[in-house]
Amino acid sequence: MRRPRAVTLPTPHPRRALAVGSVLALAAGPVALAPAPTPTPTASTPAADQGTQLYLEQCASCHGPQGQGSQRGPSLIGVGPASVDFQLSTGRMPLSEEVPQATRRAPVFSADDISALVGHVSSLGGGGPQIPRVAPGDMVSGRALFAANCAPCHGAGGSGAVLTNGWIAPPLYESTATQVAEAVRVGPGLMPAFPSQVLTDRQVNDLTSYVQRLRSERLDRGGNPIGRLGPLAEGLVGWVVVLALLVGAVRWLGRRAGE
Amino acid sequence: MIMGPLARALDDRLRLSPITRRALAKIFPDHWSFMLGEIALYSFIALILTGVYLTFFFDASSADRVYQGSYAPLDGATTSAAYASTVRLSWDVRAGLLIRQTHHWAALAFVAAIVLHLSRIFFTGAFRKPRELNWLIGVTMLALALANGFTGYSMPDDLLSGLGLRIITSVVESIPLVGTWLAALALGGEFPSDEMIPRMFITHVLLVPAILVALVSLHLGILVRQKHSQFPGPGRTEHNVVGSRFWPGYTLRTLALFAWVLAVLFALGGLVQINPVWLYGPFAPAESSSPAQPDWYVAWGDGALRLFPPWEFRIGGYLVPAPFFPGVVLGGLSFVALYLWPFVERWCTRDRHPHQLLDRPRNHPVRLGIGVGALTFYVVLVVAAGDDILARLLRVPVYDLLALFRVLVLVLPIVTGVLAFLIARALRRGEAVSLGELTRADLRRATRPAPRRPAGEDEPEVPVRHRPGERIEMWPQGELWRWRYRNEARQLALTNNRAVTSEQEAVETARLAYPGVDRVVVPGPPPPPARALRVALRRWGRATAAGSLLVAALLGRRRERRRRRDGDDEPPPA
Amino acid sequence: MSRRTPSKSERAASRRIAAAFLVSAAGAVGFAVTYGLNGGTQWEGVCLAVAFAGLAVGLAVWSRRLVPVGGYVEEHEGFVPPPAEQAMTAAVFRAPESPTRRWGLLAALGFALTALGVAALFPLRSLLPWDRQRPTRSLKDTPWGPGVRLVDDQGRPLRPDDVPADTMVAVFPEGRIDVGDAPAFAVRLNPERFIRHPAGGHLGGLVVWSLLCTHAGCPVRLYLKGAGRVLCPCHQSSFDLLAGARPIAGPAARPLPGLPIEVGPDGFLRATGDFTAPPGAGFWSRP
Repeated sequence: MRRPRAVTLPTPHPRRALAVGSVLALAAGPVALAPAPTPTPTASTPAADQGTQLYLEQCASCHGPQGQGSQRGPSLIGVGPASVDFQLSTGRMPLSEEVPQATRRAPVFSADDISALVGHVSSLGGGGPQIPRVAPGDMVSGRALFAANCAPCHGAGGSGAVLTNGWIAPPLYESTATQVAEAVRVGPGLMPAFPSQVLTDRQVNDLTSYVQRLRSERLDRGGNPIGRLGPLAEGLVGWVVVLALLVGAVRWLGRRAGE
Repeated sequence: MIMGPLARALDDRLRLSPITRRALAKIFPDHWSFMLGEIALYSFIALILTGVYLTFFFDASSADRVYQGSYAPLDGATTSAAYASTVRLSWDVRAGLLIRQTHHWAALAFVAAIVLHLSRIFFTGAFRKPRELNWLIGVTMLALALANGFTGYSMPDDLLSGLGLRIITSVVESIPLVGTWLAALALGGEFPSDEMIPRMFITHVLLVPAILVALVSLHLGILVRQKHSQFPGPGRTEHNVVGSRFWPGYTLRTLALFAWVLAVLFALGGLVQINPVWLYGPFAPAESSSPAQPDWYVAWGDGALRLFPPWEFRIGGYLVPAPFFPGVVLGGLSFVALYLWPFVERWCTRDRHPHQLLDRPRNHPVRLGIGVGALTFYVVLVVAAGDDILARLLRVPVYDLLALFRVLVLVLPIVTGVLAFLIARALRRGEAVSLGELTRADLRRATRPAPRRPAGEDEPEVPVRHRPGERIEMWPQGELWRWRYRNEARQLALTNNRAVTSEQEAVETARLAYPGVDRVVVPGPPPPPARALRVALRRWGRATAAGSLLVAALLGRRRERRRRRDGDDEPPPA
Repeated sequence: MSRRTPSKSERAASRRIAAAFLVSAAGAVGFAVTYGLNGGTQWEGVCLAVAFAGLAVGLAVWSRRLVPVGGYVEEHEGFVPPPAEQAMTAAVFRAPESPTRRWGLLAALGFALTALGVAALFPLRSLLPWDRQRPTRSLKDTPWGPGVRLVDDQGRPLRPDDVPADTMVAVFPEGRIDVGDAPAFAVRLNPERFIRHPAGGHLGGLVVWSLLCTHAGCPVRLYLKGAGRVLCPCHQSSFDLLAGARPIAGPAARPLPGLPIEVGPDGFLRATGDFTAPPGAGFWSRP
C-alpha cells in the first residue's frame, strides 16, 4: 500500500495546466508494457535539468533525492512514467498537507514541468508502466469491461464509492482518457493494477472511451441524475416531494385542526 | 343534454337514484389528514395507468436478446430480453422513459403515502373498534405494496436489482428448515434462474395488483359502510359525521388532488432521473456495483442487514445464518406488530367501545411514544442503508458510521419515544395549544407521575355536553324534510346532508346525530344559495367548453396539415 | 354554510378557474406536439405536468371558492345492532332445514374441503421442476470439481502468469460462466505475508476464493490491493485475504470458501475439487 505521508511543503504557485493528458500522450513515446523493466534514458539536457531541479525542489523532501523514498514518502524507483504522470496531472502530488488519501486537484505543475519530472523520475531507473497512448475504442466492449472491472468500486455510473478506512474510489467525471488509462495500468493507491496480461491495450482504449462517454450528460436521459447515487437519493427526493408538494397540497385543500 | 335521458334509462332499470342520492350526500371530514390515503389511492391509479402502458413494451423473459437501438454502449450487446426491452423502452420508445420513470416515482410516492396514512390512522386511534378490519386490510396492502415494489424494481434484470434479488434470496434461504425450499420453489431452482423474471412479472402485473384492487375496493367499501371517523369539535359527536358532502364540494376537491398527484408524478418522471438501468448494465452473477441500495421502502431491511452483527449459530449442527434475524425475524415481527396493534391496545386499555371520534395524538402519550419510537427505528435503519454513501459524502470511515448506527438504532428510538411521550403529556396537562407554546415548566411537570391515572391509560370518553343554545331546526321543503343543527354560542350551523322524505325520518336522523338536543320546526329554510352564482358557473363552463373545443379544433387542423399525405386523419370538429 | 350572492370575488375566481383549464389544455397540446416532434423526456414530462397541474388548480379553486366547504352533518347509526335484529338473522341460520344443523355432514364436508385444499398445494411443488436438484444439494454443489479449468469472463483458460500481482481476476469454471454460485476470483499474494493459510491452498501465492460474500451473496469485487482485503459493496463486509479470507468487519460471519487449484498438464489452471465450503450466503445445512 502506498500511503502518501505528507509534510507541509511550501505550495508552489498553482499554474493551471489544461489538456495535460493529450500533450503528454504524444510526448510519452511508444507504449511499452513489457514485463521486463527497461529504464528510459533521458535525452535532452535542458528538460532533464528542469526535471532534476523541480524534483529536488518539490519531491525530494519526501521521496528522497535519488527517489529512494523516506519515512515520509515511498520510493519512486520503478513506479514508471504512467504513475508519475497520473499523480502529477491529477494534482494528487505534490501533497500540501497530510491527508489519508490524496484527492484530485488542479495540477500544480504545467504540462512541460510534468513531462520534465516524468523524465527525471524515469531516469532514476526501475522501469514501470509507460504513459499509455489512448485511442478511440469500442463502446460496447468498453461498457462490459467497465462493468466487470471498474463498476464494483467506482460505481456503475462512475460516481465513485466508499472503501474502508475512509478511503474512497473517486468519481471519474474529471479524468481525461489518458489519466484513466494510466490509473488502469498503474493502480494508484488501493486500486488494483490491470497490466497487459489482464487488459490489452485495445481493451484499455475501449474502457477509456466508455468512461469518457460516462461523463457526458447525454447519458442522463431521464433528467437530473441526483448525483447518480442510486435508489436512496431517489427515495429522499421522493419523500421531499411527497411531503412538500402532495402533503402541502392536501393541507391547502383541506382544513387544519381548530379551523 | 344526453345525460338526462341516459340517467333516466339506467334508473328505470336499476333504480339507482336512492343509492346515488345517498352516495352523493356522503360526508367527508374537512381535516387535511383524511386526504393522505387519497394520495396513495391516486398514486396507485397512476401506477396502473402507466404500468399497463409499460407492459406493451416490456418483454418478461431471460432469453438472450441482442439490443439494437440508440444507446450506443449497448448497441449490439446480447443481454436478457427483459433488460434489452427495458433499455429499448427507455431510449427508443417515444415517451417510454417518461412513463417508466413516472411509474417508478409513483411507486415511491405510493408507499410513502401509505406510510403517512398509516401513521395518521395510528396516532389518532382510527384503528379502534369498529375499524380494526380496515386496519388489517391496510397493513396487508402495505405488505403487498412492498412486494410489488420489489418485484417491479427487480424485473428489468439490471445489475443493481440483480444484487437486490440475490440478497432477498439469501434472506429467504436463511429461514431454518424451509428456507432453501421456499427460495427454490419461488425461483424454480437456484438463483439466477430462467423462470424468475416471468414469475416476477406475472406476480407484479396480475397477482398482486388484482389483490390490491380487491383490497382497495374492500377498504373503501368498508369506509363508506362505516362512515368516516372525525376529530372532536363543536357539533361533532360519536353519532354523526361533520364535513363536506361528496357532491359537489368534495368531488371537486378530490379530483383536484387526483390531478395534482398526476402532475407531480409526471413532473418527477420528466425532470428527475430514476433507476437508469442503462448505466447499471445487465445482471451478471460475478459483477457488482457500488453504492448498492434498494428502493427506500425496503431499505430498512437492507439497513438492518448492515447493522446486525455477524452472529450465526447452529441448531443440531444446522446453520442459522446472520441474515435470518435482521431479514426474516425483523420483517416478520414488524408486520405482526402492525397487525396485532389494535388488539394489543384494546387488551391493554380494556376499551371495548366503538369510537367514531378520533384521539388527538397528545391524548395518548404511550401510543404516541411507541409510534414515534418505532418510526425513528425504521428511519435510522433506512439511513443506515446509506451508510456507504454517507461515509463518502462526509469523508468518514464507513465502519465508524456502522458502529455509530449500531448504537443509534437502539438508543435513538428510546430517546425520541420518551421525548414524544413527555411532550404529549406536557401538552395534555398544560395549557399549551401547540408545540411552540410549550414551556419548560410544562415539560418538567410532564416528567412527574400523572396526578390522576397512570399516563397512557385511556382517557374516559368525553361526552358532548349539550349546552343550552344548541337546537335542531326542521323545516319542510316541498314534499321533503330537512333539518339543521344550530349552536348559537359557537355560531355554528350544520345542515343535514340530504333531504328526507318525512318529518318522522327527519326526527329520527336528527335524534341519531344529536341525541338529547331539542328540536323545533321552523317555517322555512334559510335563504337558498344564490342563483346568479350558478349562472356565472354555467357561463364559465360554456366558455371553458368553447375554449377546449377551439383548442381541439386547432390541434386537429395542425395534425391534419402535418399528416395530410396519409389521409387517415379525421377531419377537425366543425 | 355559505350563502353568498355572486360577488366580484366569485367572478374573479371563475375567471381564474377557466384560465387554469385553458393552461391545462395548452399543456395537453404541448405534450402532443412534443411527442410528435420527439422532444424528449423532459419536455414531455413538463407538458403533462402542466396539463394536470392546470386541472388541479382549476378544480381546487373551484372547490374552495365556488362551492361551500363544510357545513354539513350526517347521522352515524353506529354498529351495535339491536338484539332483536341479531336474533332474527341468527334464526334464519338455525332454521330446521338449515345445513348448519347437520353437524356430522358438516364435519365430513370440512374434511373433504381440507383434503382438497391440501391436495391443491401439491402442484405447487412443480414450481421447482422435478428434474432439478433438491435445493440444499444444488446450493452445496457448484460446477467446480477436479479437472475443471479456470477461465476468465471471456471464456479464455488461464495460466498462472495471467494472474499478476496487485490485481484481481474473476474466474469461472470452463463453459459455465453464467452459473450463479460458481464465480470465483484469483489473486496473487506474497505467501510470506499469510497470517493464515488459505483454505484451498495456493500456488506460489496464487489463491482462488469464491467471489460471493458469505453474508448475502453479493460479489465481493472491491479489491483493496495493498491491504489484501476484499470488500462487499452490498453491506460492507470485508475479508482479509492474508488471513484466509476471514471476515474482519461488517455483517459477514464466515470466511470466503477457497478453491483448491493446480496447474494441469496443458499449463492451464484447473480446480482439484469444489469450494472448501458452500459458496455465498448461509442456509440451513450441516457443514
